[in-house]
Amino acid sequence: MKDWAVSGIILFNYFVLYYFLALNLTYLALFLVSLREVLRFVKRTFFSDYQQILASDLTWPITILVPAHNEEKTIVETVRSLQMVNYGEFEIIVINDGSTDNTLQNLIDAFELRRLDKVYRKSLPTRHIRGLYGNLLTQNLLIIDKEKGGKSDALNAGINASRYPLFCSVDADSVIEEDALLRVVKPFMEYPQEAVAVGGIVRIANGCEVHEGRVTKIKLPDRVLPIFQVVEYLRAFLTGRIGWSVMKSLLIISGAFGLYKKSEVIEVGGYDGASDTEDLELVVQLHENCRRKRSRYRIVFVPDPVCWTEVPSTWKVLLRQRNRWHRGLLQSLWRHRKILLNPRYGIIGAVAFPYFLFFETLGPFIEILGYLAVILSIILGIINWHFFFLFFALAVLYGVFLSIAAVLLEELSFRRYPGWMDLAKLVVYGVLENFGYRQMLSISKMQAFWQFVRNRGSWGDMQRGGFKKRSTGGVQPSPSP
Amino acid sequence: MLEPPVSLQGTGAMYDLLLDAVQGVTVIFLLLLLLIIVNKGWREVKEGSLARRREFLEQKLFRYVTGDQPIEVVLPPPFDADDRPAVESIFFDLTRIAKGNVRRRAREAFERLGIVDHYLERLKSRRWWFRAEACEKLGLMGSPRAVKPLIEGLSDPSSEVRLRATQALGQIGTSEALRPLVKALKSPGRWSAIRVSVVLILAGDEAVNVLLEEFQWLPDHAKLSAVDIFARIRSLRSSPLLRELLTDSSPDLRARAANALGMLGDPTAAPLLIRALEDGRWPVRAMAAKALGRLRETGSIRALKGSLADPQWWVRANAAEALKAKGASGREALLEMLDSPDPYAAQQAVQMLQESGVLDDFIGMLISTAPGEQTSALGIMTKLVKLRRVDLLTDAARQHPDRNVRQRLATLLGTPAGA
Repeated sequence: MKDWAVSGIILFNYFVLYYFLALNLTYLALFLVSLREVLRFVKRTFFSDYQQILASDLTWPITILVPAHNEEKTIVETVRSLQMVNYGEFEIIVINDGSTDNTLQNLIDAFELRRLDKVYRKSLPTRHIRGLYGNLLTQNLLIIDKEKGGKSDALNAGINASRYPLFCSVDADSVIEEDALLRVVKPFMEYPQEAVAVGGIVRIANGCEVHEGRVTKIKLPDRVLPIFQVVEYLRAFLTGRIGWSVMKSLLIISGAFGLYKKSEVIEVGGYDGASDTEDLELVVQLHENCRRKRSRYRIVFVPDPVCWTEVPSTWKVLLRQRNRWHRGLLQSLWRHRKILLNPRYGIIGAVAFPYFLFFETLGPFIEILGYLAVILSIILGIINWHFFFLFFALAVLYGVFLSIAAVLLEELSFRRYPGWMDLAKLVVYGVLENFGYRQMLSISKMQAFWQFVRNRGSWGDMQRGGFKKRSTGGVQPSPSP
Repeated sequence: MLEPPVSLQGTGAMYDLLLDAVQGVTVIFLLLLLLIIVNKGWREVKEGSLARRREFLEQKLFRYVTGDQPIEVVLPPPFDADDRPAVESIFFDLTRIAKGNVRRRAREAFERLGIVDHYLERLKSRRWWFRAEACEKLGLMGSPRAVKPLIEGLSDPSSEVRLRATQALGQIGTSEALRPLVKALKSPGRWSAIRVSVVLILAGDEAVNVLLEEFQWLPDHAKLSAVDIFARIRSLRSSPLLRELLTDSSPDLRARAANALGMLGDPTAAPLLIRALEDGRWPVRAMAAKALGRLRETGSIRALKGSLADPQWWVRANAAEALKAKGASGREALLEMLDSPDPYAAQQAVQMLQESGVLDDFIGMLISTAPGEQTSALGIMTKLVKLRRVDLLTDAARQHPDRNVRQRLATLLGTPAGA
């Protein structure tokens, strides 16, 4: 029996070794691709571009969709900040998705809204629309009041009511920067036929000062958990999404901030309410549809349009959020499993899907099983401590290297955290996240897998802190990084 | 990231390999850290130095552009190349907010200080981003000497350089500079047609001349862009061509021409646009309706009323918008449409009457003492109830400031009035 256990552990350790090698080589490749692209992006960014886009009549008009469920604390400020965006022609549609608080009433009071008999065109099926509200003096603001149907249903209702060919989904508790739309629309101006969806970077608002819907002072959060997430988001956006975007395999555009061509989204049936992560599912569907049509298309990530959002500052909410994201990933991988290694889907099938399946899905299992194997090895008295410590040091150092690499990309390009103290904090937390934070997330992902297999799970209630003059880090869901 | 632990016997070679890997990653980590610190420090020093030079030069250069002294008096030769970034940024900021003499003076300074020559030389750089920067700066400087090299830049292997050259030529804006841009519209694979169009629109009237001369030689896709450009520049000189295009065989061109005629605002085009409301293709009808809404004439009202019953949603919506834009006569037409047997037409009419505030006026008239107004208002309200478009009325029954209005509406709707 003991011999079997020993052989099993040896076998497992060899597997882990190769898995570790493959995973980290993939990360390294992603980083190098991202580094090249960030440098290129910085060189490409000329100030006159955005002035031209702003001044031009030919710039695509945009509908901003803001789904809101029980957002009474932030919704008015969010809409006010959206009204101030620096963009030519746009409309804002807030979809009140069966809120049980004062979300609708606050909007009615703040913007002096009235019920309107507007013609509503139902291109996508949604739950019952209870009413449309607007103000004759502010014709680019429309509120849809509907029965609760979830975020996807709310977004679909917004798409139905939108007038413009592009729509941008923005979370009700997020703040987009003044020029974010000008930046995110650029790929649609450069490749009008091919651009299908564009994602922007999401940054963490905890710790920042927010005044009248604008981030007025950028600072790192005071609390530990959100700082870990700052490092994680930098890594995910600057070395992950940029890399995938360059390889034409971007599978995720954050629900908090993305710009889509409406006709393409309607063609795939809009957002899918059955998915736990409607943003990821939509992007996968768009890829699938475009590949099926054999059309030339672009789904890209642009690193400088910025959306600020609050992230969870308690373990409970963070783990629940990550559990949902991981479940959503698993649902989409399962639903579109025919893409996996299917040559018809090009690099999506050959690289992106296998990566998400073998590394993102299996990674947490292997990590946790690895820890168990160590414990078992100690019990069986077969552990080589030197080897173990070296391997552990390598794993941690490599993790730190990737975090620092993301900080380097940030420093080379956008430099949103200007202070030396901020920089020092990012470096220190890039090291510390390897001790506890990552392991907790892995456990949450394993739970998500288990729930997915058992086909259950729930969204759970999210609490909002609401933006204050100086944000202290409320609790809310946010986009998958 | 994964950090799998390893147990058991490691072989000597494996152990050495791991040790090397740990050392390697540590060195790389430290190098990255150093790079971050050096990069940040260097950048701060550079930005600080630029800010200080800017502060020192700003007043002097402002006096130069608003005066008539030569630049050499303000910046005695030899010109310090280290001052170039500060001088450029001050002049570019000034020329962005001022035109005419300020721009001319800045252009002279760029020439005399050798900055134009510097960037003309940079156009030959092996690095694409230097060439792109040179194109952009030469465009901002508006130097006519740069036209020829910039035209050559349109054939650059880098799309970024081509785009910047396009923009620069548009900024210079002479017919010599614009002609190659019209040609660029012909190859949409190589250029973003929208970006080239934006440049031509910003160039204004001179671009119309060049486009009219070249139009017949353009392929259809480029003609579409040209029509959009005419629409945005709003030059009446393009009107005869656009009228002709309303009968073109391409439905896309017909639709864009209709839209462009509306944007031009030429009321004499109305009869042709009314005819386009009968076009076999719905995009043409929709654009014709939209265009008619922009023209200040009332002769199209009857035709637009007919379009409210068009089978296509966009045609109906645009026709309703157009009627709304026609003022009192359009309003009358929309009120008549409340009796239309076509429910779509009636619904569009309700929306437009609401958006233009007409229904609010009628709600107010429910308590009017002027003869006939109450009856007329009541008639309209009854039609809305029949059409089941009562959201606004329900809202007013609850919230209208006048109690009598609330009462009347509540009776009409069969609901309790708001307190």
